Parts: sequence; structure tokens; C-alpha cells
Amino acid sequence: MALKQISSNKCFGGLQKVFEHDSVELNCKMKFAVYLPPKAETEKCPALYWLSGLTCTEQNFISKSGYHQAASEHGLVVIAPDTSPRGCNIKGEDESWDFGTGAGFYVDATEDPWKTNYRMYSYVTEELPQLINANFPVDPQRMSVFGHSMGGHGALICALKNPGKYKAYDATNLVKSYRGSQLDILIDQGKDDQFLLDGQLLPDDFIAACTEKKIPVVFRLQEGYDHSYYFIATFITDHIRHHAKYLNA
Amino acid sequence: VEEESGQELGLDRSTAKDFHFYHMDLHDSEDRLQLFPEENTRMRKEVVQAEMANESRGAGDGKAQRDLQEEVDELVHLYGLEDDHELGDEFVDENMPRTGVSEYPPYVMKRRDPAREQRDWRLSGETVEAEDLGFGGWGSAGQCQDLREAYRYTPGRASEEYECYVIPEEEDEEEAADVFCVTCKTPIRAFQKVFDEHKEHEVIPLNEALESAKDEIHKNMYKLEKQIIEMENFANHLEEVFITVEENFGKQEQNFESHYNEILETLAQKYEEKIQALGEKKKEKLEALYGQLVNCGENLDTCKELMETIEEMCHEEKVDFIKDAVAMADRLGKFLKAKTDVEISAQPEFEDQTLDFSDVEQLMGSINTIPAPSAPVINPQAPNSATGSSVRVCWSLYSDDTVESYQLSYRPVQDSSPGKDQAAFTVTVKETYCSVTNLVPNTQYEFWVTAHNRAGPSPSSEHAVYMTAPSPPIIKTKEIRSCEEAVLICWESGNLNPVDSYTVELTQAESPEASDVTESVVGIPTCESLVQLQPGRSYIIYVRALNTGGPSVRSEPAAVHTIGSYFRLNKDTCHPWLIISEDGLSVVRSERRIPARDLSSSDTRFTRCVAVMGNLIPVRGHHYWEVEVDEHLDYTVGVAFEDVTKQEDLGANCLSWCMRHTFASSRHKYEFLHNRTTPDIRITVPPKKIGILLDYENSKLSFFNVDLSQHLYTFSCQLHEFVHPCFSLENPGCLKVHNGISMPKHVTFY
Repeated sequence: MALKQISSNKCFGGLQKVFEHDSVELNCKMKFAVYLPPKAETEKCPALYWLSGLTCTEQNFISKSGYHQAASEHGLVVIAPDTSPRGCNIKGEDESWDFGTGAGFYVDATEDPWKTNYRMYSYVTEELPQLINANFPVDPQRMSVFGHSMGGHGALICALKNPGKYKAYDATNLVKSYRGSQLDILIDQGKDDQFLLDGQLLPDDFIAACTEKKIPVVFRLQEGYDHSYYFIATFITDHIRHHAKYLNA
Repeated sequence: VEEESGQELGLDRSTAKDFHFYHMDLHDSEDRLQLFPEENTRMRKEVVQAEMANESRGAGDGKAQRDLQEEVDELVHLYGLEDDHELGDEFVDENMPRTGVSEYPPYVMKRRDPAREQRDWRLSGETVEAEDLGFGGWGSAGQCQDLREAYRYTPGRASEEYECYVIPEEEDEEEAADVFCVTCKTPIRAFQKVFDEHKEHEVIPLNEALESAKDEIHKNMYKLEKQIIEMENFANHLEEVFITVEENFGKQEQNFESHYNEILETLAQKYEEKIQALGEKKKEKLEALYGQLVNCGENLDTCKELMETIEEMCHEEKVDFIKDAVAMADRLGKFLKAKTDVEISAQPEFEDQTLDFSDVEQLMGSINTIPAPSAPVINPQAPNSATGSSVRVCWSLYSDDTVESYQLSYRPVQDSSPGKDQAAFTVTVKETYCSVTNLVPNTQYEFWVTAHNRAGPSPSSEHAVYMTAPSPPIIKTKEIRSCEEAVLICWESGNLNPVDSYTVELTQAESPEASDVTESVVGIPTCESLVQLQPGRSYIIYVRALNTGGPSVRSEPAAVHTIGSYFRLNKDTCHPWLIISEDGLSVVRSERRIPARDLSSSDTRFTRCVAVMGNLIPVRGHHYWEVEVDEHLDYTVGVAFEDVTKQEDLGANCLSWCMRHTFASSRHKYEFLHNRTTPDIRITVPPKKIGILLDYENSKLSFFNVDLSQHLYTFSCQLHEFVHPCFSLENPGCLKVHNGISMPKHVTFY
């Protein structure tokens, strides 16, 4: 598959690039961001996949989170795909912010008219990794996934559904039946996150399920923080280190 | 002048034979210049006379004289004879060839007139004779020096430099000789050969004769120089011996003088005593005799009086006579009855005095014996020459006295006031040193020594204080704390009294080659030391104590491994309800408890929360340790400053940071407390083993689930002072500490 480089910027000794390609799973052109650390010049690096939240594109994370320094230091290739297929002209895809465009939820749709294009789960777990492995200096054996909001959930379900793939649909339910290898999950939650306050986020359930299933989780409720990229930027370093611990072991 | 010269000559003549120093006979050549032959002295006289004659000739011979004088001056100048112009004059005159006068030196010498030197010496000899009777006359260094000055010769003028110079004949002289008769050894005129006298003789040209004469003289000049050097050396040596003789004499003199004086004093004293005794005796006798004389006189008087009375009576009338006669008869009778003592009470003879000179004899006898030696000098203690139980005492004798043995005495130094002196031990040795054993460590002893020979003991030397080395210290192995870069050791002195300092010695235990290298830290004033080490090694540590006597033997060793940080729980901080295990790494809270009111307030012990602290080495850097916990146990683990308030819970103040686990209603609650605040953290899998990383450099304290390699939480803490690990048990149970282990890899990310 041909990759078209859209942009390239040097950052913390490495290169932040954006590519475009024709996605097979999503049947459209898709963009994704790739950060190549300085170490990638000489050797293959582990790959860390970031899944953004609702309404985001491949740009939000790379512009607002400030993750480059940590990625450069730990020598990780960070890949940030878009959050949904674009320009598919499906009726109703732009009607609500939390459904359709920019709201892929990292699942494969089972219904029409969505099921042709909205296959974010497969894209993120199959097509994209294959593309990355073929075109960039990454070690296919060392892969990790994290994300924010919808992307956080996406990360959980990807991991939970693919035991051993990552060093998780409804993460809570997945956890309850997880029989895979050891996971080590780090979750930060802003205490002032509106979604939390509105009850849309139910971390307690997840934690309870993990506790019961003895899945190691450290869940941190961060006082005063909200849902924004400011919150992400504050803790991104801890998370990258968390992943680096396993990817660079 | 004449008188002088006469005298000079007289001296010369009489002493020419006595002094062989300057006889040229040594070289056995007939051609030698005989400096003291009769002819020479005679000639000198002639010369002097000639001089005088010359002088008296006055102006008449002025021209000749002046010419001669010029030549003389030239010569003088040439041969540097300015000082000895007199000499030059003489010789110059002599150099003038005269018929019949053959034997005198044809060249000029710088050396002084030997005759003069001879005279000098003799003169000084005379003065010496005069002084011979006294002490210290002949033989003074000054005299000796003068002699040597007199004989000094400056070599350096090579013999070759002396040229044989012959002054050309003057016209008004007789015809010069122009050949040399070998047989007669005299220059003659050629025609003389023809005559009988020299007819049969061998004749060679005068020039040849000159040359050969010159050569001979050159050769002998060289030998002469050598002899001069030899003699000078010999003179040097003699001077030294001179001085030594003087010194030895001085010693002997002193010795004899003191003995002699002693004897004289004793004799004088005896004399005085005896004379006084005799005087007393005389007085006694005289007094007795006088007494007798007085009595006698009285008796006589009485007799005479009686006689007169009787005479008077005889002239009396018969009646009166008879009256008186009866009375007189009574009186006479009585008087005559009384015995008159006509024995002489005091004999005129004095008894023969037996003089007891035994002590004088003894004194005189002791002059001949060798004196008792002078006091030896005891050396101060050589550094590092002592052991814990022995010292090596050395002394010296700074005189030539004969010594047969030495007696060394010693006793411990008393620090209390002299009341009763402790008895001293004594050792007899033949050498000037002694190793004294069986002593007490770290103790001062005073030593003194006397030298002995047949005459008796010397006075005692000064008392020197020597000290035994201390006993070795004892390392407190249970209190060793270490980390990857250093170890903190402390020990007991091992000595009752203070020592000067301690030395810590380390060797690496692993490789045999490395174990030969010992690192030492010296001059440690207290009983503890923080020593820097290399990470990941094993060391053996010894300690020595040091005092003026030297170092003690090594203490028992202690092993240290610079892997991770090693510490033990501190008994002094332990809450009374906690018991620390023997190895100092586990703590147990039992079911029983002492009632709370019995707990007194303490600065070091926890009183409110049931806690204990560990003794972490006060070194910055990284420290990592692990705590084994029970899932159902309520515990708190973390770090705190040493002076954290023991009356509060851990984490309740800003002097402690810790992780607290509470298990209630089947739920695990985890808090990370500092200053009573904690973030909101949920942990799904309760850790069984908690890893704690203390990072001074980055001011962080991190907690981990060791089994899962899971990071739990990190504090950012300002650590301006050193902190210690702390542990508390909120209900009965047990905590076990694992330390001295390297940091696991996952921890390194933090």
C-alpha cells in the first residue's frame, strides 16, 4: 500500500510525520501520525499506539499532548490514527458528535450502512499495525496501546480482546472474562472530568471487575483535572514511561 | 750581623747532624747538593763577609755592583723571590762563580733557607724546653701549627720551571772555566787538562756538564716534592694524634686529679682529727699534772707552816710549849697520816698512735681501677615499636667506659600522687636494647637503665616513658549499615583508657590478588567511620586502635557487601508493643499489649503509632528495599526524618511519607500519606511484597508491587536531611524487610 507523506517536522531529535493511505478495512483514505524517535535511525523500536477520543483527528494528540519528549527519551515509535473513517458520505454520519464521524469507538460496526466503513477495531488491530510494521523501523513483537476517553476505552478493549498482543468492547465485561497473560493497566482520571461527574464514565465498575479478576490496575483520580488535553499533557509522561517499562524491558 | 751569623753558624754547626729531615742523603747521589756541609756554612760566612765587603766597597764598585744588582732583580722577579730578597741576595752572591768555590746551588730556589727553618724549629724547641716542666706546653696545637707552617712548601712549581741559570762572567773576573773534569767534579779551564793534575782525567765540555747537572737536579726536585707531600700528610696525622693525646691526657688527668684530691682531702682530714685528738690529750695530761702541782704546792705550804709553827713553839716557855706541843702533835699526826699522792697522774709519753689509713689505701687502690661507667642515655620510644604486651627499649652509652652489663628497671607510670611507689621490675642484659614482655596494653611504663662494671653501677639514666600498643577494637557487626557506595561501621574501643586514634583497613574479598591490597583510613578520632566503597563488591573490614606505642593488632573482621542498601531495624525507636527479630529485619506485633497509660513519652521511641524505624546509612543516592506484608494486615511503610514526632502516626506530619494499607470489609484501601493528605488511588491487586525506592538525587520516593513489577505511586519529597525507613503495624501481624538487594530493572525506570 502506498503511503503518502503529508508532513514532517523535527521534534526532540526525532521526526513527527503524517501519512495518508488508502485503507482496505475502511474503504477510504485515512491519515495517521507517526513519531520516529532518534533511536529509530539506527535500530528497530517498539511501537506504541495512541487512540484519541471523540471528535479528534490524528492532529490533536500530536499537537496538544506534549508527548514527544518522553517518546524521544524512551525510544518509542508512537502511532496515532484518526478516530473514524472520513469522507464516506454515509447518511447521518455527521449528525451527532458522539456517533459517526470522529466517533469510531474502535469497534467494527455490524449494521448497515455503517458496516462497510466503520471497522475501526480491525483497522487499529490489524491493518494499521501491518502497515506500520512494513514501512517503519518497528519491532513487531513489542507493541502497546493507550488512549484517551473513547480511545482509552478502545485501548482497553484492544488489549483485553487480544491477550498477549499487547504487553481490551466494554472493557468491564471483557475484564470479567479475561483469561489472558499478565496485564498492567494504568488509568488516570481527572476528578473534574465532566463525563465522570455526569456518570458517563464508570471506573468503579471496571476497577471492581479487575479486582475480582486480579487484573493489576493502578487507577489514579487526579484532583482538579478535567477531560482536556491539558490533563493529557500532565500525565502523558507517566504513561509513556509505563509502556516503555515493558517495551524496553 | 756578624754576631748573629756567628750564632747562627754556631747553631747550625752543632745541630746540622741532629736533623735528618732535610738531608739530601735520601737520594744517595754524590752529586746531591749538600746543604749543610761545612763548606757551605763556611761559605755563608764568607758570603756574609763578602756582602759586607761589598757594602763597604761602596761607590767604587758601584757600577759592577749595580749591574749585578740589576741581574739579581731580574732573577728575583723571574722566580718570584720578592719576599725572599735576602735569600736572593745571598744566592746571587753565591752564584757568582769563583774559582775554588764549587759546591753551591747553581740555581735559585723558592724554598726558604733550610738553615733558617732549622733555626726556627730549634728556637721553638728551646721555648718548649722551658715549658716542658709545666703542663700543656709542648704539644699544644698552636705549637704544632707553627711547625707545620714552617715546613710548608707550595708544590706546583714544576721542577722543570727551575732553570739552571748561570750568570755570565764579568770581564774583571778570572778567566772562566770552559770544561768540566768529571773525575774531580770541578770546572776547569781547557788548558788545565793538559797539566798533570787533570791529565788522566775524563773531561767533558762545560755545557754538557751543565746539562747533566741540570737534569740530575730536576729529577731530584721532583722526588723532593713528593717527599714534601708525604711529610705534610704525616704531619697532619701527627697533629691529629697530638690532639687525641691531649684529649686522652685530659681525661686521665681529670680522673687522677679527682682521685688524688679525694685522697689528699682524706689525709688532711685525718691529720686534723688526729692532731686535735692529740691536743685534747695533751690538755688532759697537763691539767692533771697541774692539778697535782697545785695540790703539791698546798701540801708544801702546809708543811712549811707547820714547820714554822713548830720552830716558834720551840722558842716558847715550857708551859706554852707543852700545851701547843700536844696540839701540834695531834695536828702533825693527822697531817702526816694523810697520804700524799706522789704518783704522777699523767704520763709524759703519748701512746703510739695507730693511724688508720685503710680508707686512704682503698682510695689509692681505686685510682688504678677502672671507674664506674657514666650514666647511659635512654632513647625515646621509637614509633610503632611496641605491641600490645611488649615494648622494645633502647639506650646508648656516650662514652668509652667499659661496661659489663646493663640493668633495666621499669614500672607502670603512676598517675596518682606519689604515696606508695609501686615496686619496679628489673632485667639484666648485655646489649643496649631489651624487649620487655608481659605488659598490659595501652599502658605507660617508665624505664630507666644503669650500666655496670667491676667498679660498680653508673648513675641512673633519665626515666623514659614507653607505652604499649592498645588492644584491638571490637566491631559492632550488628550495627553495620551499607549501601552501594559506602559503609558506616562503628566499634567498641577495646581499651579502658582512651587511645589516640583508630585505623580502618579494608580488603576486597573476592579476587585473591585484590585481597593483597589493603586500603586504610587513618586518624579516625571516634568509634565510627563512613568509608566510601565500590558498588557490587564484597569487602572485609578490620579496625585497629593507635597510640604513641603503635597500632594494635587487627580486630575481628566484618564482612560488607555493596549490593543494595543494608540496614537493621532500630531497637531504640521501637514501640513497646513490637518485637524485633534477632537479625534485625523482621518486626512482630503480638496480641498482648501493655496498657497505653504505662507508655511514657520518649524522644526516640514511638509511643502513639506502633512503629519502628530502620537505621539507613546517611549517604545520598539511591536506596531500595522490600517489605513482605500480609494481605489482611493493616500496615504503613515509608520513610521519615530521624526526628519525626514519635507521638503521631506515620504520614500524619510533613516529616514522613508512607503507603498505608487498610483492609476492611473485604476491601483493600491504599493511601499514600504525607502531611495527612493522600491522592485518590485504587489498586486492584493487593501487593504482597512492596518495593520502596528512595531517590535523594531526584527527591522521589516510589512504591512498587514487586511481584507484578507494578509501579504504585511516587512522592516528590524535599529531602533536606537524611531519612530512615519506617514501618508500623496497625494490628497484630508481622513485617519482614528484605534489603541488601539490587534494584530490579523495572524500578530503574523510576
